Amino acid sequence: MSLRGVTKTFAGTRALRRVDVDFFPGQIHAVCGENGSGKSTMIKILAGVYEADPGGTVTLNGEEFAADKLTPGLAHRQGVRVVHQDLGVFPELTVEENLAINGGFQTGFLGNIRWLRQHRSTEQLLRDFKIPARPTSTLAELSLAARTEVAIARSLRDQDDRGRGLLILDEPTAALPVTQVESLLTSLRDLAASGQSILYVSHRLDEVLSLADCVSVLRDGELVGTFATSELDESRLIDLMLGRAVHKALEHEPVSFAGTPVFKVENLVAGPLKGVSFDVHPGELLGVAGVMGSGRSTLLKSIFGVIKAESGAYTLDGQPLAASSPKIAMQAGIAMVPEHRLRDASFGNESVDMNISIGVIGSYWRRLVVARRSLRRDSDRLISDFRVKVPSGRSLMSSLSGGNQQKVIVARWLRRKPRLVLLDEPTQGVDVGARAEIYNILRRATQEGAAAVLVASDFQEMAQVVDRAIVIRNGRVVAELRGDEITAHRLARLSHAGQTLHASGAPANRAPVNTLQKG
Amino acid sequence: MTGAVSDTTSENASATPRTRKSVGEVIEVAGLPIFLVILIAFFMLHPQTQDLFAARPNLINILGNQSVTGLVAVAMVIPLVSGYFDLSVAAIAGLANVAIASAMVDHGLSTPLAILVGVGVGLAAGALNAFLVAGLRLNGFIATLGTFTLLSGVLQWYTKGTSIFGVPRGFANWGSLTWLGIPRPFYLLIVVAAIVWYALMHTPNGRQLEAIGSNENAARLVGISVDRLVALSFLGSALVASIAGALLTSRQGGADPTVATNYLFPALAAVFLGATTIRPGRYNVWGTIIGIFTLAVAINGFTFLGAEAWVQNAFNGLALVLAVAVSTLMGRQRERKAKRLLMDTDDVPPAPEPTSGPGEAAAKATPSHA
Repeated sequence: MSLRGVTKTFAGTRALRRVDVDFFPGQIHAVCGENGSGKSTMIKILAGVYEADPGGTVTLNGEEFAADKLTPGLAHRQGVRVVHQDLGVFPELTVEENLAINGGFQTGFLGNIRWLRQHRSTEQLLRDFKIPARPTSTLAELSLAARTEVAIARSLRDQDDRGRGLLILDEPTAALPVTQVESLLTSLRDLAASGQSILYVSHRLDEVLSLADCVSVLRDGELVGTFATSELDESRLIDLMLGRAVHKALEHEPVSFAGTPVFKVENLVAGPLKGVSFDVHPGELLGVAGVMGSGRSTLLKSIFGVIKAESGAYTLDGQPLAASSPKIAMQAGIAMVPEHRLRDASFGNESVDMNISIGVIGSYWRRLVVARRSLRRDSDRLISDFRVKVPSGRSLMSSLSGGNQQKVIVARWLRRKPRLVLLDEPTQGVDVGARAEIYNILRRATQEGAAAVLVASDFQEMAQVVDRAIVIRNGRVVAELRGDEITAHRLARLSHAGQTLHASGAPANRAPVNTLQKG
Repeated sequence: MTGAVSDTTSENASATPRTRKSVGEVIEVAGLPIFLVILIAFFMLHPQTQDLFAARPNLINILGNQSVTGLVAVAMVIPLVSGYFDLSVAAIAGLANVAIASAMVDHGLSTPLAILVGVGVGLAAGALNAFLVAGLRLNGFIATLGTFTLLSGVLQWYTKGTSIFGVPRGFANWGSLTWLGIPRPFYLLIVVAAIVWYALMHTPNGRQLEAIGSNENAARLVGISVDRLVALSFLGSALVASIAGALLTSRQGGADPTVATNYLFPALAAVFLGATTIRPGRYNVWGTIIGIFTLAVAINGFTFLGAEAWVQNAFNGLALVLAVAVSTLMGRQRERKAKRLLMDTDDVPPAPEPTSGPGEAAAKATPSHA
C-alpha cells in the first residue's frame, strides 16, 4: 500500500502537501505530528472519505487508484479498515453481538440467529485475536483495552488474508488508562506478526517508539520523512515534529512574581490527579502542560466546582475556598473558559448580546423587564473592546467564526472582573490572528491583578505566552519551568517521558516537584 | 479504583464464568415479579378482598381485560428498544377497532376481511409515524403525540362520536371465551409477546435495533441502516397495536371511539415498570407484561378495598413516575460503577452520551457533568 504525491486543499489552505508514504505487510507504521499537521486528513484520504486533490495516487494491494477517485466502498473492498478512537461499540450488547452487529450474524431460515454457531465462530474469532472475553459477556464488563480489541476484530472479521489491506488505528490509546495500554500494544504486535499492516496514529511518543517499526512525521501538512524507529529517540522525534521553531525565544518579557499568591492549590486528589499543589501570583499566566488524559482538564474542572475532588484545599486571596459548584466558584471570583466551546460554552441559537451577557443577566433586571437598551450598550462596548468581528450584537452566535465566538466567551467571563481565570484549550479551532488577540486580551486582564491558568496541548503556543509552566505526569506535578526555561521541546519531553514504562505495577514514587536545571 | 484492579477484574470475569449473582442483582432482576406475587397473596388473604379478588370471574376478567392493554404496551416496546417513543399506539388500536367494526357492521365484510382492513389501516398510520420519525427525523415523542391526537380526532369524526354495535356473534364471543379455564385473549397476548420478544432478541434486525438504542451514531458508523430499521420498528409497533384493536372489537362486540385512547397511560406505565425488571435498565417484553399485571392487580384489589375511581389514575401516574425514577437512578448507578471500574482518567474527548436508563431516553438532554 502506498500514497504518492497526495495533496489535499481545504478552502484554500493546504492540509496535506505532496505526501509519499509506503506501508508493508506485517509492519506497524506510526504517523506522528502536532495537532493540525495533517494526520487525520491522511487517514481519511486512505479510507476514501476525503477526495484528495487530482494528481496523487493511492496504491492498494498493488492496484493503483487516482487519489481523487477513491471512495469509501472501494477502500473497504481493498481491505482498508479504520478503527476510530470512539470505537463505535455498544456497551449494553454482548461481545458476540458487537462482533456481528454489522452483518456478521449467522441466521437460520426463519431469520433467526443461530446462537450455537454464533458462539462457536465468536469463540474462534476471540481466540484468533487473543481477546480475553467470553462471547456472552456484555461489552460493559470488558476493560477498555479489550473493547478496543473487539472493535479491531470486528473490522477485520471478514478478512482472512492478513497480508492484504491496511488497519488504521486513530489514537487507540488516548482513552485508555495507562495500565491497559501494554495489553493493547501486545495484541497489536501479535496482529502485525500475523502479517497485518497497521497504520498507527498516537500522540504518546514512548508508545510509538516501542511499538512501531517506522515513523512518518508530518508537519504543517508536509512529510518531514519516514524513519526507522531504531534511529529515533523521543527527543529527536519531538524535534522532527516541532521543526526549527522549537528554540524560538519567548515573545514577552520574562516576569518574576513574588508576594502573596492570588490562588493556591494544595494536595488536590481528583480523577487521575494524585496530589497536585501549585500557586499563581497576581499578574501571572501559569501554563499547565501534560498529555491528554494526564488530568489537566480535571484540574481546572475541580477548581471551578464542576468535578468534586476527593481531597485538597484551595486558597483564594488568602481565604479558604470550597468550590463545590460553578456558581460558588463564580461568586468567589473564578472564571472558566471550558475546553469544548460548542458543547459547553456557546449558545449558538442566541444573539451575541445574550451570549456576552448571560453571566451577568441578573444585573439588568429592572422591575419586570430586562433593561435591553443598557444591555445592548454594554455589549456593544465589549464587542469593540474585545475586537469581536460581528455586524451587530443582534447577530446569531452560530454565524460567527470560531475565533470570534471564543472572544465573545472570553468577554463573557472577563467582564465579571475575575480574580482567577481558568482557560482550557482556549485557542482550539481559532485562527492564528485571533489567537494572538485572545492572549493580548488575557494579558490586559492579568495586568490589572488577576491570575490565569492555561491548559493547552499546543506546547509552542504555551511556551510563547506563559510566565511559568508546570508539567503534570502520572497525576503529579513533575516539573516547574520559568522564564526562558520554557520551551515547547522541554514541555513535550516532560509531558511524554516514559509514560507507560513507569505506569505498570506500583505507582511511581517520585518527588512531587523537581525543578529542571537550566541548560 | 485503579486501572490495575480493573484489569484483573476483567481477566477474572473472562476466565471464570460468573454463575452466581449477588443478592442485589437478583432483587434488581426479579423485584417486580416478587412484588406482583406479594400483591396477589395480600389480596388473596386479606379478609376484605379474599372472596371478591380470588373469585374466578374476577381473575378471568383481569386476564382478559389486560390482554388489550398488554398488546398496546408490547407495541410500544418495539420502537422504544431503538430509543424512540411511539405514543400513538393506543390511537392506532382505536383506529383498527373502529375500522374492523365499521367494515363488519356498515359494509358487511366477512370477519377475516374486516380484520385485514383494520390491520391495513393501522399499518398506514404506522407508516405515517415511520415517515415522520425515520424519514424526516422529527422528535419521536412529539411527532407521535401529534399523530395520537390527530387519530383520536379522526375517530371522532368518522364515528360522529357514537359507538358501533352489531359485529357477528362468533367474532364477539371469541374474546370472552376460555380455553383450559384461561381466557383466549390472554393466549393471544402471550403468543404475540413471544413473537415480538423473539424478533427483538434473536434476529439480526432485533439486535441491531438495540444497538441503535444504545448508540445511534455508532450504529450508523458501523453500517447499520438506522432509518430503515427505525421505520420498520414503527410498522411492527402499528401491527401489534392493530391486533390489540381487533381484540378490542371482539371483546366489546363493536367499537367505541373513545375507549382505546384510554390505554395509553396504563401501557406507558407498564413499559417503564417493565424496564426495571427482567433486563433492568432496558425496555423488554416480559417485564412489560409483568408491569401490566402488577398495575391491574393493584388497582383491582384496591377497588375491592373500597378505593374510589380516581385511585386508578393516581396509581398509574405514581407507578409511571416511580418506574422512571427507579430505572433512571439504577442506570446512573450502573454507569458510575462502570466508569469507576474502567477509567482513572476523564480527560478523554467527549464521547456521544450513552442513553443509559429509559429515563435518559425520555429526556435526552440531561446535564452531563462528571
